[in-house]
Amino acid sequence: MMIAYLGADGQIVDVREASPLPVQVANAKPVPADTLLIATTNLFPTGERDLLGNTGAPELPTLDACGQYRKLIWFYFREGAGDTTYTILARVTDHNGAPLGAGWLTIASGTLPGGANSWNRLEIPATGDAYYDQYRILVNRTGGSGYYLISKIVGVR
Amino acid sequence: MPKVCLITSNLTRFNKVWTQVLRHLGIDYTLCVATSGGVGATIQTPQGGLAANSTDLRNYFRLFDAVILCDHAMLLSETAVINYSVYWLSWNAPEDPPFLFFNPHFSTAITESAYNSNFPSDFPIVRPNASDLAGTLYAADGGSPSAFTPLLAGGIEARGACVLFLAENIRAHVMTVCNAHGASASSNVVPYYWKLNPALHSTLANTNYTHRAARNGRAGEILAMPAPPTNSEDTETYGSDCVVAYRYRNIFWLPHAIRRLPDTINLHSSYRLDTLAPMLFWLLYGLQLAGVRPRYKLPVQMETDHPIESFANTPPFNLSYRQQMEALLAKHDYMREFARRTGTAIIHGVRVGGRHRSTSPTYHWQMMYGTGVPADARAVAQQINQLLVAGHREGTTPCGVHDHTAGNFQGGYWLGDVRAGFRRHSGMRYGAPANVPISRGRCCVAPHVLPAGVAPPNALTVQVGDAEMVEWDHTMSGTGDTFDLPLGNIHAARIVIESEIEEMLALGFPDGHCAGHKYTNTAANASGGECYWQALKEFGFRGVRSASACNAPHNTKRVVSNRLWHGFHLITDFGFDLVHPSAGYSRGLYYPDSPSGGDGVRHWQLDHGNDISANWTTSAVAAWRAYRRVVCQGIGNWLFTTAVVLGGFYIHPGAQLMIISLSDPNARFNGWSVQNVIGHPHYNHEVELLENMDAVVRLLSDVLYWGTITDVMDLRERVLEG
Repeated sequence: MMIAYLGADGQIVDVREASPLPVQVANAKPVPADTLLIATTNLFPTGERDLLGNTGAPELPTLDACGQYRKLIWFYFREGAGDTTYTILARVTDHNGAPLGAGWLTIASGTLPGGANSWNRLEIPATGDAYYDQYRILVNRTGGSGYYLISKIVGVR
Repeated sequence: MPKVCLITSNLTRFNKVWTQVLRHLGIDYTLCVATSGGVGATIQTPQGGLAANSTDLRNYFRLFDAVILCDHAMLLSETAVINYSVYWLSWNAPEDPPFLFFNPHFSTAITESAYNSNFPSDFPIVRPNASDLAGTLYAADGGSPSAFTPLLAGGIEARGACVLFLAENIRAHVMTVCNAHGASASSNVVPYYWKLNPALHSTLANTNYTHRAARNGRAGEILAMPAPPTNSEDTETYGSDCVVAYRYRNIFWLPHAIRRLPDTINLHSSYRLDTLAPMLFWLLYGLQLAGVRPRYKLPVQMETDHPIESFANTPPFNLSYRQQMEALLAKHDYMREFARRTGTAIIHGVRVGGRHRSTSPTYHWQMMYGTGVPADARAVAQQINQLLVAGHREGTTPCGVHDHTAGNFQGGYWLGDVRAGFRRHSGMRYGAPANVPISRGRCCVAPHVLPAGVAPPNALTVQVGDAEMVEWDHTMSGTGDTFDLPLGNIHAARIVIESEIEEMLALGFPDGHCAGHKYTNTAANASGGECYWQALKEFGFRGVRSASACNAPHNTKRVVSNRLWHGFHLITDFGFDLVHPSAGYSRGLYYPDSPSGGDGVRHWQLDHGNDISANWTTSAVAAWRAYRRVVCQGIGNWLFTTAVVLGGFYIHPGAQLMIISLSDPNARFNGWSVQNVIGHPHYNHEVELLENMDAVVRLLSDVLYWGTITDVMDLRERVLEG
């Protein structure tokens, strides 16, 4: 038996792949967050690199067009415990997307938390709001054995 | 929607390419984790942990269209990789799903008695023995070891193979490694094919068997084996008992597909050469064999940059401009015919800028009209252009703008702060003598708080993405056609893009955006940034090909993370020329005196153990080896571009034009039997890539089809996540 429902224009609409039942989910609100990056960073080599492996100069942004996000949440799983530092740089651009000036603002740095096979989470920035347009997220294994760092970054509006 | 069950024993080493490909095909999946590689492993399912040999697990598997084992052997001396799966080799009832094994570990080094006692006695593939490699396996691809391991080969370092698919009667060049072994897992590892037990196979092949995956109704079936040579030069042969893929009842024994590494390649990432999965053909083939019909097929398409270009000096070939144009004409004639035959559309990025900003004969316009080019060569270039225009109108060779003169450095959008001496077109909205803004002026980015009287009556409203602003007091172009152009603003973008389109119109094309595809491949894959994307949208574009670092080496921009900016597509790029750009043009598959990166073997690092370079002049088989590796690398990278990043695979016809036979330019490769002008093997890159990919598309007719860039963008919109 064909299932149908009353459409907005008063017409009877058959339920098909292109016209599913108009179900309203109670209490559902869209999550104000977007996945911005999922990346595996090879930290077997030492030396500072961004999460996409970029080591060159001038320094590429790791993330661009992030001005709508109040905060970035950096989830990561580190396979190894090798000593690693991180540095989070940020800057803003004009309405054409060009950075207002050269260089970057350092908004956080330190030792990357977590041991081998650990899940971790960092908020960018740790306190307050962000709204920067571009971020360059750097990691540097300074000791111990090499490992892969697997990251997911979510932007929260 | 079809659904498959993936099994891995190591989530940390689980490669996300498995799930990315399934998502793009519209195949649902459940990922289950085995608690170990041993026979006693528990399989962690949504229904709870189930013993590997339990009836509960067997019944659970019956919910799926196929079960896929994602773990693979690294060395034959390992003792436990997928031992838990041995029970499943006997789950052969019609209700049981097909099981797909890729590079499975079943060597005699396995010591668990439960494995060895449960391994089917009638299994017809000889179990590999690390102590008797020659007696249990066939060394593949010349038998030379890879410096690292062929199982981890990515966008470089491919191994070659030509495979005969028996039921389909198709020969295809697909990278094939059944098992691999070496002194260690990370160095000097040799690829191998399997050896068949003919008596056991004969029994199975004559035993009736009913299962939806048994297409010939028999219990055993050789699916694929090394293809016999087509030329006596090719002495790389294998015994009649050599196989690379086999169906044992409902069990598919297939070569390596996707490596065990925590690669997270997806639409949110920029790929790296080391993260490509050039052997994923075997996953696609396995899904088709198992009868897993995808909801979406994947469109296959190819692009070229610079359909007309030339080189002033071409040693050792020393081709004249006319000879170069004649070689290109033959290539384009072939490509247009191929597109007509298959229904694809081969996008061409016309190297514009020669009309107004460069007199170099490397440019399309200059080859047709430049006084620095002999008249006879110009005449052939004009024939090519006519062919392209006709193909553009009929849909086979859509052409779009591709401007290496717009920015600084090597060209492309916004590759510097200012383009000194920019020369624009005449007429149209932004051409001379129109006095138009060339830079952002004073502005207010929140017009609703702009006090009355601040902005003059002639202020402009400008929108870039979500941002709307009011601008005034601009730097203006004046009425002339030449000025220093600040590149980082929408006014510059509009001038640049209109200038490019004006040149396309002057060349006879009806538009500059590949007709209805509304797309082009940007020069240097530099799409600029927001102001260029906005301007491209204004001129009717739906998307462009773009690198992740979209204005390198200026390096101030990165494309938006999901490569979709306000509905505008930024298609991932993957180039496959047989030369590094720094070496100019290719010298061939291999050429002893090439500069660094000057031929295919050098550029893609295919000289394993020097088994090509050391034998090139003394052993004809080296050319066949080089051919197989180049084509396997190309097809593998193209499949990755198609299935994983939904991107644009492209080549430069001009970069490979010297290496073909001028008397038989579109001949297939035939070793030293067909030679180019310097007496080395002829190789036509376009013919070989397209014909070999056509074999793969015909093989994988449930999964792939010859499509267009429009199909790619449509699919991206279906499968893109938030």
